[in-house]
Amino acid sequence: MRETYGTVLPGMNLADLTGKLIVIEGTDGVGRSTQIDLLKPWLEQEGRAVLDTGLTRSDLAGRGIKQAKEGHTLGPLTLSLFYATDFTDRLEQEIVPALRAGFVVLTDRYIYSLMARALIRGIDTAWLQNAYSFALKPDAVFYLRIGVDDLIPRVVFSRGFDYWESGMDLHPSEDMYESFRKYQTALLAQFDLLAEKYVFDVIDASGSPQGVFGQLRDRIGRVLSGEPRDPLFSLLTAPPVPPAASDGDTKTEVAPVMVTAVAQKTPARVREKGPAREKARKGGAHAAAKTSGGAESV
Amino acid sequence: MKRYGEHRFPGKLFVVEGIDGSGKSTQLLLLHQWLKAEGFGVVFSEWNSSPLVRDITKRGKKKQMLSPATFSLIHSTDFADRMERNIIPLLKAGAVVLCDRYIYTAFARDVARGMDPKWVRELYSFAVKPTAAFYFRVPLETAIQRLLVGRSGFKYYEAGMDLGLSADTEESFRLFQGRIIEEYEKIVPEFELTVVDANQAIEVEQAQMRQIVRSKLAQAKRLRVAP
Repeated sequence: MRETYGTVLPGMNLADLTGKLIVIEGTDGVGRSTQIDLLKPWLEQEGRAVLDTGLTRSDLAGRGIKQAKEGHTLGPLTLSLFYATDFTDRLEQEIVPALRAGFVVLTDRYIYSLMARALIRGIDTAWLQNAYSFALKPDAVFYLRIGVDDLIPRVVFSRGFDYWESGMDLHPSEDMYESFRKYQTALLAQFDLLAEKYVFDVIDASGSPQGVFGQLRDRIGRVLSGEPRDPLFSLLTAPPVPPAASDGDTKTEVAPVMVTAVAQKTPARVREKGPAREKARKGGAHAAAKTSGGAESV
Repeated sequence: MKRYGEHRFPGKLFVVEGIDGSGKSTQLLLLHQWLKAEGFGVVFSEWNSSPLVRDITKRGKKKQMLSPATFSLIHSTDFADRMERNIIPLLKAGAVVLCDRYIYTAFARDVARGMDPKWVRELYSFAVKPTAAFYFRVPLETAIQRLLVGRSGFKYYEAGMDLGLSADTEESFRLFQGRIIEEYEKIVPEFELTVVDANQAIEVEQAQMRQIVRSKLAQAKRLRVAP
């Protein structure tokens, strides 16, 4: 029987969801959609029916979010709830029916991206965990991890700096490049914390698309055949994070962006313990505050 | 992120709650007139008034696309927009803000649709706690009699037709509103709503409301408003 992170939505039957829910996470411009475009035909060649879905694609709220973002007028809570509406519509209308029909659901981002974005805009962990507590636990979350220095050239040579991807609503800097760097650095720090908490399967995305695809293909193959996702995974997976000093943090406004930006200068490997993590935590990355329980406690 | 009860603003927030036909909107209108006459800077903020999300909500309802969960979330989006862009700035400026329905409507309505009570309460925990919230308690049959006079029928979601309680709209409305009243009765003690017996004469109810509002406005600053 499939599980959620807490509550179950009315009318949602968790039995017989025999398909596989596979999440591709990662920051803006890291190559998620490129990978999904490679994975879908591969899976279909393997004889698997695939549903691919992603943020703002719901019939109900997708267009509305896009229009609203053009106006740049939404507050952080409003935007969060708008995305939650979009997510829920897709969960109920697309994801669950596809899983019931035995599909492989490939989703470009999931609740984790939505949490990371909201967290650096001052929304607190407890609120987000509740809001998304009905989300299904995926079969695997592949996190395409990249450092900001490898990310920037990709963005420069593809679509350029975008208002939202640079966090311009937070006014980190007048200049789009500086803003992008600060914002993405803070966002990546949040992703690293979430990666630990929700036990993401981390893939180094700084290499070639084909190389990343090869790794994804191997690991997804293992998920579909029901094998443990990585023979070394249990050895590499960190013990739960010890309880942090503060929680119920209410003073996070724009500050985390700046603070974690400094902390992130040390390249923190997600599964490595030690100074990098310590630094990130001291730096005020509050998302870890509630991680005292098991890896998947919400 | 400030939570319910943690905000400190110079303005005042008064809300009315109750099922359709309880007379709450009439009472709020009369309160509005009185506060204006008293010289307060008073502003209405209506449920579903955000232009941003209104169209999405309307379309979702018209095309009957909403589940209990998306019904709840789209309304919370609308509410958050009003909170962030309208209610909080007004309260900061020292206005007296009046709301016809507030978070308690969502607590009653969404839980009547099967949403988890704790989940909905936490979802709306960003809302400012009202200075006073009035619940207009009315027997279901009284409310239905009032409504049947004034309109031709009930809308799909208003009657809870999405829940499949009855194929007959009026019967469905009755069953659904009955559930909502049950939820309101839990909310009243939990959030200390002020109960108004909505079976009284309009002017009697209004006098009770004004007395309570007056006592809460003793130190409120009076915005200078254009005549």
